[in-house]
Amino acid sequence: MNEQSSDSQSTAPLLRVTEVRKLYQKTEAIRNVSVDVRDGEFVSLLGPSGCGKSTLLMMIAGLVDPTEGSIAINGTPVAGPRKEIGVVFQQPVLLPWRTILDNVLFPIELLKLPRAKYEQRAMELLSMAKIADFAHHLPRQLSGGMRQRASICRALVRDPSILLMDEPFSALDAITRDEIGVELLRIWQATRKTVIFVTHSIREAAFLSDRVLVMGRRPATIAAEFKIDLPRPRTIPMMEEEDFNHYSRELRTAIEASHVS
Amino acid sequence: MLARMKNHARDLFWPILISFLILVVWEVAVRWLKIRSILLPAPSEIAETMVRQWSLIASHLWPSLYLTVCGFALSVIGGVLVAILITYSSILRKGFYPVIVVSQVIPKIAIAPLFIVWFGTGTVSSLLLAVLIAFFPMTINATMGFQSIDDDIHRMARVFMASRWQVFWKIRMPNALPYIFGGMKISITLAIIGVIVSEFVASQEGIGYLIKLAGGLLDTPLMMGAITALSLSGLALYGLIALAEQRAVYWQEPSDTSGG
Repeated sequence: MNEQSSDSQSTAPLLRVTEVRKLYQKTEAIRNVSVDVRDGEFVSLLGPSGCGKSTLLMMIAGLVDPTEGSIAINGTPVAGPRKEIGVVFQQPVLLPWRTILDNVLFPIELLKLPRAKYEQRAMELLSMAKIADFAHHLPRQLSGGMRQRASICRALVRDPSILLMDEPFSALDAITRDEIGVELLRIWQATRKTVIFVTHSIREAAFLSDRVLVMGRRPATIAAEFKIDLPRPRTIPMMEEEDFNHYSRELRTAIEASHVS
Repeated sequence: MLARMKNHARDLFWPILISFLILVVWEVAVRWLKIRSILLPAPSEIAETMVRQWSLIASHLWPSLYLTVCGFALSVIGGVLVAILITYSSILRKGFYPVIVVSQVIPKIAIAPLFIVWFGTGTVSSLLLAVLIAFFPMTINATMGFQSIDDDIHRMARVFMASRWQVFWKIRMPNALPYIFGGMKISITLAIIGVIVSEFVASQEGIGYLIKLAGGLLDTPLMMGAITALSLSGLALYGLIALAEQRAVYWQEPSDTSGG
């Protein structure tokens, strides 16, 4: 299945969202959203808080059903949570009674997969996220940024093809945010996952993504789409450069335009 | 570990000192003011009585403690089981749980004479009264523990495809543990009260009976000795639970590890 999709990557997208609409009672949260995401792509959904971008993400995760339209991964429709999706939430959502390593292995345990086989992988992820030294610590002994790194490791442990991230860094301070962004890109480049990243930060979207989809206010639609052609690997000093500022300005203009209409 | 023990020692220093001072003042006051032992015996006299009459006190203390522990155990097991039912049955949650909460207001001790009528003047009444008053706080605490789980954690569990069974054992149960221990600490004290009260009302043995008997005989030192023995036992039972809690709820230690 996977081999097939890598052969035909130019034709079939890994994720296809087709004319999705979401109603809560009678209020329309999302109107007619269609998105295609290629394998290995880093796509951001950028928009103001409460615009429905998280709802879209939760629909892709299979936690919320769309009212109309369809979502398909590798051609099969999403009907509920599935193994090839990993999710990072706004909060780390670690279980306080489990060590960091046991938290990372939680999804493996839930699937009743052999722990011994995955422990090494979990440790590799933790060292990639530079928190291997804390594998046997409890979450409360770690800083917020370190906890969120652990939750990224947890999302990656069962080797999903898509990583969904719901404003994962919004609870962190600005300096930690920039750092963890660079770390995320490093992990992404090493694992080549497809990432769908929800954010309300223009800088974050421009810095991380291959492509940014700007979403307008409720009912949410995709107001604009930008390809970010900055070289990779991206570094923090790049955020001071004119190319980066150019993209930030364009994104800001698009967001403002979507508000007026 | 050592730092924690040091902290404990520091926490205990002032209460122990104050208790000691109270005992000294009590002793000195009784001797100076020549208060009669029938009104208020000196601590030394109480201690001396306890040693002298220990076999009598112990013979009444053990049955009471035995009933207390049994009543407590039944309350904990029953309370947790009912809490699980309440958590998983919406009918019970909507119908039964409010009744339990409201029934907290009833002074259940007042029902003791009714229990004597129903179950006689023996151990059954004592046990049931202990269970009756220890069970409800246990149930309420455990229910809160099973239910107070963040939406975020539920979402996380769904994303990673946890079954209902797994959500119970791997999330609800550990989440409830601190609440269950909180309930146990309340329940053990209430179980003691239940047993003692039923022994006051009607019984031929037990520490409650001994206290009442000594009162009738105007043997105040024996009465105070029995009360002291009972209080120390209660403290010991509470301490055991607190110790077990520290072991079991290891992730909620006071923040002394991060502060150091």
